[in-house]
Amino acid sequence: MEDEDVFTYMVGGKAGEGVKKAGTAATDLFLDLGRESFQMNDYQSLIRGGHNFSVVSTSIREVYSHHMEADLIVNLDERSRKIHEEHLAEEGLMFYNLDDSEERDEGLGLPLDEMAKEYSKPDLIKGVAGIAVLAAYTGMDQKDLEDLIEKEYSRGVEENLSFAKEVYKEVEEKIDETINLEKGKTDSTVLTGNESLSLGAAAGGLDMYIGYPMTPASSILHFFAAHKDDLRVMPIHPENEIAVANMAVGATVPGARVMVGSSGGGLALMEETISLAGMTEAPVLFVLSSRPGPSTGVPTYTEQGDLSFALNQGHGEFPLIVASPGSVKEAFFLSKEMLDLVWKYQTPGIFLTEKHLSESAKTLDLDLDFSDEDGLETKMADEDDDYKRYEKTEDGISPLKFPPSKDLIKWNSYEHDELGYTTEDAETVKNMHDKRREKNETLILDLKDMNTVNEFGEGDAVIFTFGSTTLSVREALKFTDIEAKVVQPVFLKPFPIWELERYMDEEVIVVEQNSTGQLAKLLREKCGIKPKTVIRKYDGRPFGPRKLAEKLEGAIE
Amino acid sequence: MKLDESEVESEVENTWCIGCGNFGLLNSVKNAVKKLEDEGVGKDRLLISAGIGCHGKIFDYLNLSGLYSLHGRESVTIQGMKFANPNLKVMAFGGDGDAYGEGLAHLIFAAKRNADITMIIHNNGNYALTTGQKSPTSVQGFKGPSSPEGSVDEPINPLKVLLSSDAGFIARGYPGKMQHLTEVIVEAVDHQGFSLVDVLQPCVTFNDTYEKYNELVEVLDEPAETRKEAVELVEKEERLPIGVLYKEKMPVFNERIYPEKNPVEDRMDEKERFEAVKKILDEKR
Repeated sequence: MEDEDVFTYMVGGKAGEGVKKAGTAATDLFLDLGRESFQMNDYQSLIRGGHNFSVVSTSIREVYSHHMEADLIVNLDERSRKIHEEHLAEEGLMFYNLDDSEERDEGLGLPLDEMAKEYSKPDLIKGVAGIAVLAAYTGMDQKDLEDLIEKEYSRGVEENLSFAKEVYKEVEEKIDETINLEKGKTDSTVLTGNESLSLGAAAGGLDMYIGYPMTPASSILHFFAAHKDDLRVMPIHPENEIAVANMAVGATVPGARVMVGSSGGGLALMEETISLAGMTEAPVLFVLSSRPGPSTGVPTYTEQGDLSFALNQGHGEFPLIVASPGSVKEAFFLSKEMLDLVWKYQTPGIFLTEKHLSESAKTLDLDLDFSDEDGLETKMADEDDDYKRYEKTEDGISPLKFPPSKDLIKWNSYEHDELGYTTEDAETVKNMHDKRREKNETLILDLKDMNTVNEFGEGDAVIFTFGSTTLSVREALKFTDIEAKVVQPVFLKPFPIWELERYMDEEVIVVEQNSTGQLAKLLREKCGIKPKTVIRKYDGRPFGPRKLAEKLEGAIE
Repeated sequence: MKLDESEVESEVENTWCIGCGNFGLLNSVKNAVKKLEDEGVGKDRLLISAGIGCHGKIFDYLNLSGLYSLHGRESVTIQGMKFANPNLKVMAFGGDGDAYGEGLAHLIFAAKRNADITMIIHNNGNYALTTGQKSPTSVQGFKGPSSPEGSVDEPINPLKVLLSSDAGFIARGYPGKMQHLTEVIVEAVDHQGFSLVDVLQPCVTFNDTYEKYNELVEVLDEPAETRKEAVELVEKEERLPIGVLYKEKMPVFNERIYPEKNPVEDRMDEKERFEAVKKILDEKR
């Protein structure tokens, strides 16, 4: 089964030429046609030069992932032409830069350098050609293209308009016919995963976001810095990740709902403070957006190598919540839900995601209705209570009170008694361990009433996956006759064993983006599930759906 | 436990060595808290933190709210408290190994951004709680279990470091002059912006400096007029001036990046939040 309805647009060039911007404008163009899209941006850790590309797959149905077989490719330089030659679909058309390449039989050359040099910023303007070619090729009216340029390229709009019209005319003359993209009915929003999780947290009552730049989490900090007045979330960028995490813990004492974010290296620096949050019972939500490691690794690419790292954060024993969204939309609702959870249980939580979800953009419809009572209220102390910060209760959760207050409120990194004074007393040490463990038991009871595992589709085959790889698997299944059920644990700690142990005797397939099979290991350890095949990818690039479909067929045969 | 029904000093057993400089410091803090209350800074909105070391035990000895933090991180903990609710007054206790070693970067940046916090550093020139190893302010040649032949490191001059990081309030105190130290602490808390009091704290067990300090300490009547003069004051080794060494009022961090807003007191309600989010979503349509 081949889904012919997906149209894929790709644009490649040097960093600084506006490649990603062209992809974003293309997504916008498709949205004007009522079409769904998925946009993946591939870029390197550099500011000028190198090779970047943006790929947008669009359809009238929901598209879960980009494809690497492109129907239209615009190469702004010769390096892009060479790299993307292999990505051209059978009936596809490729444009190349005539001023940077030899004239060729295949594809259509455009004198891009020659045309661009008439403008004040010849290098920066080239990306506009990407969208002008797409407009001409899809038969878009010149007037509509002008509107799109005005919206997407408002800075230096006069020059951008003029250049776009020139390219548009050139392409119109060169192509024999335009293609017709069917109009869809979507009227949705386009969000990246980072934008989505940020907006979800803001809707869920976030008061502060504290971050130190690290790809692919930096754009969360940028988002809150840009929206501090309209979202009323205070953004702070301190000296390092250790300060980020400790500032967050401090901010919870007067009751601020606070989120922090980084990638693996940054989270490693925060780990001491995750343990502090466990001991002091500070509700902080940590976003961990992974990239290929170990160490500095491959900064701007994607990997799921930090699953075990996330699950095992912090020295000592304390309740830790780890969950990972399987879609851009889920990122929105999960960040809000995790904020509620860390506050109800007064313990740290890790929102685990990857570059592929953080920085890819997708069309989505959001219904902002949280009115369902989720039972995740923060337990507050009564005004007149004889207050004890770490009061022993049946469910392990001590009521909170925030200063300014006439009560003594002591949070403590040392083991402590109910009032929060340091203790080494054997019985109290044991009791406080019990209290924290009881919180975890109550947490599991709550999770049993919540949606902790997503299942998609029906079929005999069972495919396990998590995080952004869920997107690749769901899109891949559109390109095979396999009837399969996709199982995506959203919560990874506590692990929803109660939902998953029924797969114990099934021959399941696991798909994940790392080299050692960390999800497979977790399934084995927690649920006794013995995966038949583990499909892994660990070259920093997300799965291409069609290639993944072939692998799934191979595994299921 | 109600704060107004309890003493400033808690009933927790005090385990500092007999004769420790920390006792004078604790008494000065107790008196400062009372003076601050008289001024209108109630215990209900005075929050504390501490790092880890002998100094940190003061967190348990004071009936004040707050968070007993990690080694070197107390200056960041109180910044979090302050930024979350600027109506609070925040004060942290640190040690020299703690604040001038493990947490020095935090201290420099807190001064640089002019966070409205007060730091009180129990500077005893060694790591006492871990049995007397050399610290960032130990003199060259200091003998401890990790430097049996004498430390080869030059000590840092923390006040010079902070003065060159644009700290707006730098003071030095001595527990041997308790009344004076009390006044310096009150003035530090009252100062709007970053303030730090370096307390010359003798450690009777591992680094007894009483005799030296009694001889060298001299009360300064007026702070230096310029930052440059203040640096000259803290470079002095033949005399040790105590008191407010430098004071300059500057705009504070939270007022500059988030003016006139209090994250926990000026919240939008759920409906307003949804409207704000919807507006951004519409812009992306």
